[in-house]
Amino acid sequence: MKGVEKTTTQPQYAVNPVSKFLLHFLLIATPALGEVDFSREIRPLLNKHCTACHGGVKEAGEVSFIYRDRALGKGESGKPVIVPGDPEASEMMARILSTDPDEIMPKPEHGPPLAKEEVELLRQWIKEGAKWGEHWSFVAPQNHPLPVVKQADWPKRDLDRFILARLEKEKLRPSKPAAPEAWLRRASLDLIGLPPTVDELDAFQKAAAINIDAAIDAETDRLLASPRFGERWTSVWQDLARYADTNGYADDARRQVWKYRDWLIDAFNRDLPFDQFTIEQVAGDLIPDATLEQRIAPTFHRLSQINSEGGTDDEEFRVVAVMDRMNTTWETWMGVSFGCVQCHSHPYDPIRHEEYFTFMEFFNQTVDADLQEDLPKLSVPQDKGRYAEANALQKEIVASENSLHVIRKSIDSQTTWTPPAEMHAAAKRAKLTVHREAGIPEFRADANAAASAEYTLTLTPSGPNLTALRLELLPRDPKVAAHTPEWGSIINKLRLDLIDPSGKAENVAIHEVIADEPHPLIDPNGSINGKSQGWGAYTKISAARHATFVLNDSLSIPAGFKLRVTIQNGGMYLASFPMVAKRGRVFLTDQPDWINHRNQPGVIADKMRIAEAKNKLRAIPSTTVPQMAELDAGHRRATHVFVRGNWLDKGQAIPEANTPGLFPPLEKSGVRATRLDLARWIASPRNPLTSRVAVNRLWLELFGTGIVPTPEDFGSAGESPTHPELLDHLALRFSGEMKWSVKSMLRELVSSAAYRQDSAVSAELAERDADNRLLARGPRQRLTAEMMRDQALTASGLISHRIGGEPIHPPLPPGVWQPFVKDTWNTPPPGDPQRYRRAVYVYFKRGLQYPLFGSFDAPPRDMCSKRRLVSNTPLHALTILNDEAFHEAAIALSKRMNAAAGSLDQRIAFGYRIITSRAITPDRAKELRELHQRLVPQYTAAPDEMKKLGATPEDAALAVLASVLLNLDESFTR
Amino acid sequence: MNALQHLAQEELRHVTRRHFLRESAFGLGSLWLGANSLSAATNETITRDAANPLEPLSPKFAPKAKRIIFLHMAGAPSQVELFDYKPVLQKYNGKDCPAEYLAGQRFAFIQGVPQLLGPQYPFKQHGQSGAWISDRLPSLYKHADKLCIINSMVTDQFNHAPAKLMMHTGHANLGYPSMGAWLTWGLGTENQNLPGYMVLLSGGRPPRAGAALWSTGFLPTVYQGVQCRSGPDPILNAANPPGLTRDIRRAALDSLQRLNHRTHEEIGDPETVTRISQYEMAYRMQVSVPEIMTIKDEPAPVLEMYGANPGQTSFANNCLLARKLAENGVRYIQLFDWGWDTHGSNAQESLTTGFVKKCNDIDKAIGALLSDLEMRGMLEDTLVVWGGEFGRTPMQENRGGGTANKFVGRDHNPNAFTVWMAGGGVKPGITYGETDELGYRVAKDPVHVRDFHATVLNLFGFDHQKLTFPFQGLNQKLTGVKPAKVIKGLLA
Repeated sequence: MKGVEKTTTQPQYAVNPVSKFLLHFLLIATPALGEVDFSREIRPLLNKHCTACHGGVKEAGEVSFIYRDRALGKGESGKPVIVPGDPEASEMMARILSTDPDEIMPKPEHGPPLAKEEVELLRQWIKEGAKWGEHWSFVAPQNHPLPVVKQADWPKRDLDRFILARLEKEKLRPSKPAAPEAWLRRASLDLIGLPPTVDELDAFQKAAAINIDAAIDAETDRLLASPRFGERWTSVWQDLARYADTNGYADDARRQVWKYRDWLIDAFNRDLPFDQFTIEQVAGDLIPDATLEQRIAPTFHRLSQINSEGGTDDEEFRVVAVMDRMNTTWETWMGVSFGCVQCHSHPYDPIRHEEYFTFMEFFNQTVDADLQEDLPKLSVPQDKGRYAEANALQKEIVASENSLHVIRKSIDSQTTWTPPAEMHAAAKRAKLTVHREAGIPEFRADANAAASAEYTLTLTPSGPNLTALRLELLPRDPKVAAHTPEWGSIINKLRLDLIDPSGKAENVAIHEVIADEPHPLIDPNGSINGKSQGWGAYTKISAARHATFVLNDSLSIPAGFKLRVTIQNGGMYLASFPMVAKRGRVFLTDQPDWINHRNQPGVIADKMRIAEAKNKLRAIPSTTVPQMAELDAGHRRATHVFVRGNWLDKGQAIPEANTPGLFPPLEKSGVRATRLDLARWIASPRNPLTSRVAVNRLWLELFGTGIVPTPEDFGSAGESPTHPELLDHLALRFSGEMKWSVKSMLRELVSSAAYRQDSAVSAELAERDADNRLLARGPRQRLTAEMMRDQALTASGLISHRIGGEPIHPPLPPGVWQPFVKDTWNTPPPGDPQRYRRAVYVYFKRGLQYPLFGSFDAPPRDMCSKRRLVSNTPLHALTILNDEAFHEAAIALSKRMNAAAGSLDQRIAFGYRIITSRAITPDRAKELRELHQRLVPQYTAAPDEMKKLGATPEDAALAVLASVLLNLDESFTR
Repeated sequence: MNALQHLAQEELRHVTRRHFLRESAFGLGSLWLGANSLSAATNETITRDAANPLEPLSPKFAPKAKRIIFLHMAGAPSQVELFDYKPVLQKYNGKDCPAEYLAGQRFAFIQGVPQLLGPQYPFKQHGQSGAWISDRLPSLYKHADKLCIINSMVTDQFNHAPAKLMMHTGHANLGYPSMGAWLTWGLGTENQNLPGYMVLLSGGRPPRAGAALWSTGFLPTVYQGVQCRSGPDPILNAANPPGLTRDIRRAALDSLQRLNHRTHEEIGDPETVTRISQYEMAYRMQVSVPEIMTIKDEPAPVLEMYGANPGQTSFANNCLLARKLAENGVRYIQLFDWGWDTHGSNAQESLTTGFVKKCNDIDKAIGALLSDLEMRGMLEDTLVVWGGEFGRTPMQENRGGGTANKFVGRDHNPNAFTVWMAGGGVKPGITYGETDELGYRVAKDPVHVRDFHATVLNLFGFDHQKLTFPFQGLNQKLTGVKPAKVIKGLLA
């Protein structure tokens, strides 16, 4: 870098100017050598000064700095923006250096001019050829040699070398190791979400005295093998998956999704490799020969919200849910905000607007459509032991339905369907008119057709015999409906009569109704057997749909006789939309195949298999989860670009799904790219983001801040990693030698010297690194909402460790429960084990969060949440001091203390150790003893108050002490 | 203690509590947030001391309003029956709606061709300003010259939950901060013994979308609205559990605080110090919040003026509470009154029955609130806002097809609705904007919800373009990414 004065050089990667911390360390970093690095030095500069106007959204003067070809092109002025190798010929430099207020960039009202060093950096970069490079996180992680460190006996794991090297560079020393019990508290809460018991503490302290490294390894194995492990990590994943037990939006009604939570717990407990964990959630339903577990996993996507408010458009909110699934997938696995590309190209990162919609095609082909019933649903046995049985039965039904569909399609293709010679239409509660299109008569209803409208179609048959009748329903405007469907219909009842010339009617029996799809959501036979719902285009229609109504017996129609079809429409949907057929036609046939096919051995066998399998399934006690199910080939949706993100304004059609061009290409396993291909693409070691984002999340949970401090944004607007080589090192080992094992990675982290440090904050560290980004001391984190509950239940001995199952309902403060639609919160009485289960099982209602969760920073899970900001507010005090659940725990803890042998001092010491995991100090013991002594006479004088807490004044005083213990700062932290 | 001493002590306690309730910002506990790294990187950054996140900050330019009382009639009240007088609509009552009004429109409930429905109540002009207000609001129309009536409000959303979210967060989807959260973040609050942003509900149901309407979104949680309830436990867990008197709580807290100080000496974590002060703050809130949230000590004439009844939950009670909260330094006071969704699908939801009762419920209380604020000299810097989430159609609803519902009602209309404001720097005695002859669409001076937000932020001393917070790669704003402007015509 001849002749260039660089007073500052970023340590490794781009530095976001937002971070105070990094700026501080910037000044003492060592200079890099060689060429100017685009992604490290130039991209951040462009983002800071230029891309707000010349980016992916705004391209003022037709200039954009997102892509190289654009930046090297000409702007509106006709002058080349950047000429590689020639800063003087580059308009960019001319404008930056201009003194003319009308010319200078950035415009004075938009921001300050570039610093001298920044200008020189740009000049040098252009001179060197304006080489472009991708943002660090979009490039595959690299292997880095382990750094050489001076304090060679400190590292316990390879990762420690990266931490120590940085500390040595900053002239900082690591802290001493934490006391064994402090490590155990930290590791136990981090790994299983529960504090260690007194017995566990005793055993560990004994083992640690002999060999601390061996003791830590053994204890880590114990914690990782605990069934409690899955419960703890499920609560972490639930924030990403926006897991809630309700539908969200206005009604926020209860739905059954807890079998997915059970799946998560189980997946973490059996250490399902993270790549497989990913594939199953993104597309488990598409895995060939998928197990029931794999079919439950994609409920991840169905956790998007449903809007069942009266008058809301199902298609609008289906689209919202699809986009939510796309954004959630990106944010969860790749740490990139994708939502902004819905309306325009990414403002900072090179992802184009159209690429959003080619990606949307992966998610746009599932059956679910914001239906108020949450359909389609997967039936799941309560007992996991019967999953395989149920899966086999369900697959048998699907296979037999497919087989039937093939047979019937073949008959259909050989059937001559004849329109009636004439059709007359009349209606109650609607106006029907008859039109002829290409000679075929069709009925059309007026726009005011009522939900209860009844149609009467009188047909003049074109032949003397009838075996089957086809009802075809059409959208009013097929062109528009092809991409923006219309409201559909339900045929509650269809009746066929033969009318003699005098007008006398004779009912004609219909044997069965056959839909135009193999697996209709609602049994089409409902239209003839008196069930409340039958066949229809429910709830939307995008193209012609038909059903075949097969007669019991062939009907001969004497001359002069007519047929009358009476259609009872299906009522109102979402208190608003009449499920009324708007337009339709009837066709007739006299071919015997439709009646005869029911006697074919294959058809009989298929129907029997279906009926038997359904009977067997009904006998298995089951619940459901909403399911991801692909539309069958004949009914796929057309995906279009939404112009400026508006779903009603459709632009070009998307022929096939794909991933953005910035990343390694998608590998297709078949002709058409599928969601399963996408899942494998995400879970591939070639994906530059997935492994990094995953290890960063584990790191964040254990150390309090990610190596990338903005886990929500790995793009160029996020913060850079504090230890970039370490992140790559861990990411490569995770996807490589560890084979994506989460437990292996966690074992590595908790046994590292960095994690094992004491967390005391010296004055120097408070000054140099207040946020502990460099880890010169151990992490000291506040307990999560879940841990606060679980710790109190554990300490009090109340906890009930049943794994899995339906949501639970602990006590609620009065006045909280005001659900908008009926929903009950039944708290089991004191003593019932269901009252004392872990927080992960608490019923999660989006609009009415369990108060502990809200006060302790759990997100409402309306959308994917990548980290919890940690607060410290008076609501914490009110909750832990006064909430019924914590009060109950305090009393139970005091009873445990009372039951322990020994003096008052020993009981206090016992309680203190239960809750804080450490031995009490004499001054603390004295403080608590004196409190007890002050309280006893007060309770003696107030026996009525006393009785609410215990049998004696001593017991009551001890209950107050137990509450103090639950509220200690040490109880809040790990 | 004799009776006299007792009285004297009560008096003293009363005075100290009063003082305590009014106590302003300092020394009362600080809240630490791990959100440092998220502070906005714009020209006019809100720099928050993480240790004291509710500390009052000065706005970026001189504000006209210091606090807001937002009266949201949940369900969307009919502007056609209250403020937007349409004699032409009366003339065409019962006629089929002209086709040009229906082309390309999406409705929540109307099907096919509905019929026009004239205003159900007589209108008159009121005050010097001659504002048109119907006979349903006889107390309010006496204040006509204080009101700044906007008849040309427009929104994007025609379903309740998305439209309510739009009205309060500027976005139709969940997950964004409410205007109250933005303002509390930007300005802090003047009484550290009370939450800066409080929410009161009436009408028997919470509004659709619930707590998302007073959400903090991606802003730190401390700026979330705190929902207060009537009864002894106005904020959750304010009451000590059974067997723990306030004296015993104090003794226990003293011990707890000494133990925590000890921990801080050992570990040196600044969070511990914060926690100690938060526990003190909580102890004070246990008294301050229930005290301010009761109206039983209010003089009888005041109760009578509002139509308030201690011990109940009502909009009138909430209006009186709103005045008390405003007086005691709460920044953002949000009321929701449920039951304004007058579709005509049943009597309660009809313009001829339920609507009449709802108007009676609010009229006297709002009149009293405006008089009370004026009397106390607070109206000039208190912004009062009244409105719903959208308007109602000039057509009679006919859900499920046919021509009309059984009862008289109107469907949702996002194209035109009425919001009025008073006090806090708005131009008094004006009616702004106009709708077409039928009152269906705005014909002159539209005020989009985004413009409304920009205008309110302006009244509080903020440029809506500059009150931003970085999230998901974007400097997020209350007014979002679509155009928004301050409506100068509304400013005094």
